[in-house]
Amino acid sequence: MNLNSNSYVLGFVVAVCIGTSLTLALTANALKETQAAAAEFDRKKNVMIAAGLCTASDERSREELEQLYKDRVSEFVIDTESGKPDAEMKPADADGKRYRVVATTKGDGGAVEAYVLPISGRGLWSTLRGYLALDGDKNHVRGITFYEHKETPGLGGEVDNPSWQAQWKGKTVLDEDGKLISITVKKGQVNPAVALEKAHAVDGLAGATITAKGVQTFVKADLQAFSKYLYE
Amino acid sequence: MTTTTAPATSKPLFGKEEKRAILDPLWDNNPIALQVLGICSALAVTTRLDKALVLGAGVIMVTALANVIISLLRNLIPSKVRIIVQLVVVSSVVIIFDQLLKAYMYDLSKSLSVFVGLIITNCMVMGRLEAYAMANPPWRSLLDGIGNGLGYAWIIAVVAAIRELLGSGKLLGYEVVPQALYEAGYVNNGLMVLAPGAFILLGVLVWVQRAISGYIEK
Repeated sequence: MNLNSNSYVLGFVVAVCIGTSLTLALTANALKETQAAAAEFDRKKNVMIAAGLCTASDERSREELEQLYKDRVSEFVIDTESGKPDAEMKPADADGKRYRVVATTKGDGGAVEAYVLPISGRGLWSTLRGYLALDGDKNHVRGITFYEHKETPGLGGEVDNPSWQAQWKGKTVLDEDGKLISITVKKGQVNPAVALEKAHAVDGLAGATITAKGVQTFVKADLQAFSKYLYE
Repeated sequence: MTTTTAPATSKPLFGKEEKRAILDPLWDNNPIALQVLGICSALAVTTRLDKALVLGAGVIMVTALANVIISLLRNLIPSKVRIIVQLVVVSSVVIIFDQLLKAYMYDLSKSLSVFVGLIITNCMVMGRLEAYAMANPPWRSLLDGIGNGLGYAWIIAVVAAIRELLGSGKLLGYEVVPQALYEAGYVNNGLMVLAPGAFILLGVLVWVQRAISGYIEK
């Protein structure tokens, strides 16, 4: 048989295509549920990281962390226009615009320990998705995490850097009169001598001005969207 | 895989050829140190040992499987389209590996991001298919694939271990440099975390390996 005749080449290529696509489709289908579960667990873990219940490199097993989430975190949907929780809507049905999901964790006394708010918006290359957690006083930042982004590793990707994220802790989103002014991501470093910066700003990311600006913008916008729920 | 020819009685399972196929790429003909193939991923994923080990495992799986598949098809592949067929096979195996990572090692698959997909363009993989699997039976191709994958994996594991140790004072994520040393004024070497650190280390490693193995550039 002539291996290089046109009809043989065509037939062979079609057979290879069908063979490989079938294999890939089968694998993707078989793994779909496990992957979705892994992604969902990663999201839950990020809620807990923002709330300070665990760390990114936590040594506890997945089961323990799932249990911790069940015990401590409650997620519900709020209507940002009225600022009231919507008891009927499931978190999975929230559209992320008018209806947004909030997670809270409760301390021993039953008082809310942390409000974990989803934040998302554009950086340079991609949409970043993450969580910003506020203390029970709705003013001090408790933590920030990102669980999905495609920014440049080493530049914008440094939003994942634990020491950069650690700076957010303890900053306040309200000014002295209780007005929401959010957090500024400075270009360069925060000057601790300036009171306003010390309370409301974090260092910028070197070489990632656009990502940093993006984070600043969407953190403010998302806080504003939640302000009715939080402060009224 | 019933079509893999059982070795005839006169041929041992691990003859001279077979041993050469698996042992040569580990040292005497190492894909990174001697052929300097596939170093772009070697630079990118070697900041942490766990990343390097997983990517190494991925490359071993991909070279081995792709070698076997191509070797099984070698008498059927029309020479006109052989490169494309090789590429399709490599891509499929890589995608399967990526899907497995996403399902079972989500954290690592996130931090490896595009570099898993980039195994496809690792010239070492295509090189083995073209140079070896197209001309050799499946069993030997499998050994050659594993051998080359291992040859790649151990080098990037060594680079990663040194980078993680000197750059972050950790190994596999565990602190190994004692806190007392930091208090005494020791600082992590920031260069090791960045790409130039990998370049320098890899260069040194290639030099040392060549000096020991006595390789002379022709």
